[in-house]
Order: sequence, then C-alpha cells, then structure tokens
Amino acid sequence: MNEGLADFLRGIAATNEWWYIMPEILLAVLALGLLVLELLSPAIRKHVPRVAMGGLGLILALLLMVDCSDCMGANGQSAFGGLLQSNEWSHLMRVFFVFSALMVSYLGGIFLAGRNLAQSEFYHLVILVAAAMMLLVQSNHFVMLFVALEMATVAFYVLVAYRRTSSLSLEAGIKYLILGALSSSILLFGIVLLYGAGGNPALPGASGDSLNFDALESFIALNPDNPVVLTGAMLVLAGICFKIGAVPFQIWVPDVYQGAPNPVTAYLAIASKAAGFMVLLSLLHGPFLALQDFLLPVLVFIAAASILFGNIAAVMQRNLKRLLGLSGIAHAGYLLIGVAASFTIEWVDNAVVFYLITYLLASFVVFLVLSLSGEGDDADLNIERYANFSREQPFLSGALTCGLGSLAGIPPMGGFVAKLLLFVAAFQAGLYGLLGVAVLGVVISVYYYFGWIRALYFNGSSVTALGEASNAPTLQNRFVLCALVVAIVVLGIFPAVVSLV
Amino acid sequence: MTIGLNAFLIVAGLLFAIGMLGVTLRRNTLVIFMSLELMLNAVNLALVTFSRYNGTMDGNLFVFFIITVAAAEVALGLAIIVALFKRRETIMVEQLNALNR
Repeated sequence: MNEGLADFLRGIAATNEWWYIMPEILLAVLALGLLVLELLSPAIRKHVPRVAMGGLGLILALLLMVDCSDCMGANGQSAFGGLLQSNEWSHLMRVFFVFSALMVSYLGGIFLAGRNLAQSEFYHLVILVAAAMMLLVQSNHFVMLFVALEMATVAFYVLVAYRRTSSLSLEAGIKYLILGALSSSILLFGIVLLYGAGGNPALPGASGDSLNFDALESFIALNPDNPVVLTGAMLVLAGICFKIGAVPFQIWVPDVYQGAPNPVTAYLAIASKAAGFMVLLSLLHGPFLALQDFLLPVLVFIAAASILFGNIAAVMQRNLKRLLGLSGIAHAGYLLIGVAASFTIEWVDNAVVFYLITYLLASFVVFLVLSLSGEGDDADLNIERYANFSREQPFLSGALTCGLGSLAGIPPMGGFVAKLLLFVAAFQAGLYGLLGVAVLGVVISVYYYFGWIRALYFNGSSVTALGEASNAPTLQNRFVLCALVVAIVVLGIFPAVVSLV
Repeated sequence: MTIGLNAFLIVAGLLFAIGMLGVTLRRNTLVIFMSLELMLNAVNLALVTFSRYNGTMDGNLFVFFIITVAAAEVALGLAIIVALFKRRETIMVEQLNALNR
C-alpha cells in the first residue's frame, strides 16, 4: 500500500501536474490573500474589494491568453491519477466561472456598501466557490466530484445566510442547508451503490478503481440492467437535479432565492446551475452512457415537469426574486431538453453551453438593476414597486427590458438563438412532445416577463414608488450594464462569436 | 460464523431510510440535523462494507472525506440555528415561514 502511494506521489511530482490546476491555485491564493489583507490594518482593509476584483480580472485575462487545458497535452488527458480530466469545456467553463465570480464581486460591492457586514469574507467565499466549481466540472472521479461539490455548497450555505442580521436571510440559509445536505446524502448513497456494484468481483468487468468514471463506464456498459447500478444512477441523478433546481427537487428554489442577498441569488442562479449541468453532461456522456434507454424517459419527464411548473408558478408570483427563482426552474427545464437530446445529437452540448452563456449575461443585467434599484431589504421587491420606474430611471429600465427580453427569448437577443438551438435539437432528436411543452412554456414566460416590463413603462397611476427612491446609476454602473447588453445583442446577431455553434 | 454483505447493507439501508424519514417528518431543526448525520453515517457504513467485501481501499478513504464534510456542515448549521434563534426565538420548522409573504 505504501509503495503504491509513494509511486503515485512520485508520478505526480515527475509530470508536474500542478500546472494543470494553476488557475484554481491562483484563485485560492487570491482568496487567502484577501483574509491576510483584512488582518493587516484598517487602512488596507478598505481596498479589499478592489484587490479582489483586480485579482479576478487579472486571472480572467490570464485565462483568456493561456489555455491551461493544453498544459496536459490533448483534450481527454487525465491528471492526478485520474481524479481530474480535461474535456472540451474545461477551458470555457473556467472563463465562465471566473467571469461570474467577478460579476458577483461587483454586485457584492454594491450590496455591502453601507451595510454593517463583514467585507473580505464575502469576496473570499465567492472566489473559493469559483475555484471549487472549476474543479467540479473537470472531475473524473466520484471522490473529487463530492469534495468539489461540497466545497462549493458549504461556501454557499454561508453566503446565503450572509446577512446575519436579517431573519429572512438566516431562514433561507437553514432551508438551503437542510435540503442541500439531504440531497448530498442522496447523491452519496447513489455513489456508494455504484462503487459497490462496480467493484464486486462476481460481476463481469468489475474494477478495483470503481469510483473512477472511466472504470465505471466500461463496467456499466457490461451490466446495463443490474438493479443496483440503476438505483445508484437514479440516486446520483436525483442529487444533481437538486443542485440545478429541477422538478421534483425544486422545493428550495423560491425561498432561498428570495432570502439570499442579491449577489448570492445571482451566483446561485448562474454558476451553481451551470456547474450542475456540466456535471450532468459529463456523467451522462461518461459512466451512464450505457443507461441512456433507461434515463432518457426520466430526463424527458423532469424537463417537461420543470418547464410547466416553473412557468405556471411564476405567473402568479409578485415577488421579483421568487419570480426569478421560479423562472430559473423553467430555464433548467429548457436546458434539460438539450441534455436529453444530447444522447442522439452531437452538437447539442454546444447549444447547452451557449444557453448557459446567454443566461449568465441576461441574469447579471437583471440582478444588477435589482441591486441598483433596491433599497433596504432586498427580499421584498414586488412588481408593484416598479410602477412607472422608467420615468425616473430610463436607463435602468432600458437595460432591464433587454435582460428580460433575452430571458424570455425575444429576437434579436441572445436568449432567442439559445432557445432556438435547443428546440431544433429536440426536433432532430424526435422529442416532439417535449418540444410542444417547451413552446407552451415560452409563451407563458413571455406573459410574466412582459408583465414586469409593462409595469416599468405603462402604468395608469402616477405613483413612482421605486424610481424616486433610487439614485441615478453612476458612470461605472452604466458602463457595465451597457457592456452586458451589447454582449447579449451581439450574441443574438452573431452567435458564432463564441465559436461554439 | 461470518456476517454476510447483505446484512450490513440492510442495516445501512434502514439507517438511511430512518434518517430520511426524520428529515421529512420531524419539526425540530436540531432533530433534523441529527437525522442528516444518520443518513451520512448510513452511507459511511455501506462504503466500509463494500470496501471490505470488494477488497479495495477507496471506500475507506472516501469515508474520511465524508466525515470531514459532515463536520463542516454541522458546524455551519448550528451557527445558523443559534443566529436564527436569537432573531426569532424558535427553531421549529413550521414557524420558520417568514419567506413567501
């Protein structure tokens, strides 16, 4: 045993695989550095947000210049004894997560200003979550998957309950913690069943390393009908569905989205969902590939139920953060269409990633406007408070309209192309029933997104509840909003700029 | 007499089911936390069993990661419960319903 371990460590040292996770290491150094800065002196402490955002910007720039997946040679190379494996998405998702951490830090700066809350720890946790998710999407081993997932989730428990003076935030935190830990246990039980079956010497293809995705893939290909394997796969799927907030594991979404601070809600909606979908894709194209006949109907059902539930529940909703949460369930449903279609159609993975990118841009526009217009407790922003918002805040209203239009899927916004690609994929894969449900869902979603836009512009009464209370956005905020909106429109008109589709 | 694999797995499955029922049925947040721990320990028991009967060490190693993560989760959970009790003077789930108003 010791010999094996020594060989393993020697192998890692010889190949210098640490270069492979250099972006994650840099993020961890940055996160710990922020805590050290906090300790030094109060004069330095107030620069912590700038250091955090500057550091994230620097890492983002480095990532855009250097593709770290190349350090290991070709794609599909595994590192650290098979714990991590680069795939065609690992580089893009690294950029995705660092960019969302940067945007969340920016929102966090707005959120924390004037509030008596700890400053550095917020940026510290946001950066650690980004590093954990970058590891999560590249994990090729169930231990790595679990540790990266929990690293992100435990940090999220703290972030959701971050406003510890507000009982709403704490309540959201405890709800997220109980349901998150429950889903982790379910996921773990699934992993254990797969481990037990995959290592059973009595079964064909049993492997000594049955937590590894590659070993499991070849094992499951030989035993696709084993009841233990099927139960394990279903439990793992249930655990992941919880993280992406798909029906029937969506119960936490509205409460947690409402109670969590604005930047954290944005982070949960975007990065957490994206990580869940990338893990789902790598599981379905890896270990669970042989189970597709069994899993396809399940995925189709979950997708249809999520689209219907999310959209119908959002129609009645007046609280904006709950509305964004419920529509997020519907977006998870649309993305699951892509996942279900990806068994037969090859290019759908690209469409899923493209959808995630447009969702990221549009959601950040919406959450930035929410942060700039909300005063006091951001958990009780109702549609009514946006009545005639455009009279006082024409710029914010315009940006919000673009963001909501993209979420609803109106041309020429990026969201339209993203939805179109997924629907074409569903058509090519022959999932006609699901396609019908999805189109119905989009029609319903236009109703509630435009209900919000209508409140901004056309409202008979002359009240301007929130518009007068909000200050005009600073030049910096205008610039960020403009950049995001331009990116959404450019993606809508020239989707090929991401070189995915 | 040796005890078979199935006996251990049945115990693990029962513990998991009891934990799951506890999480869904009990009203006290502290009891819910205990039930969550029970679920994680059921997983640990199953892992160690499979590790022993399959003759691989991965399961035993995995258990340490799970114990560590469970400790982190409970530390956080108790901190949130204390903070919440200071604000609301209750830890019963049916009274934690301020959201969705």
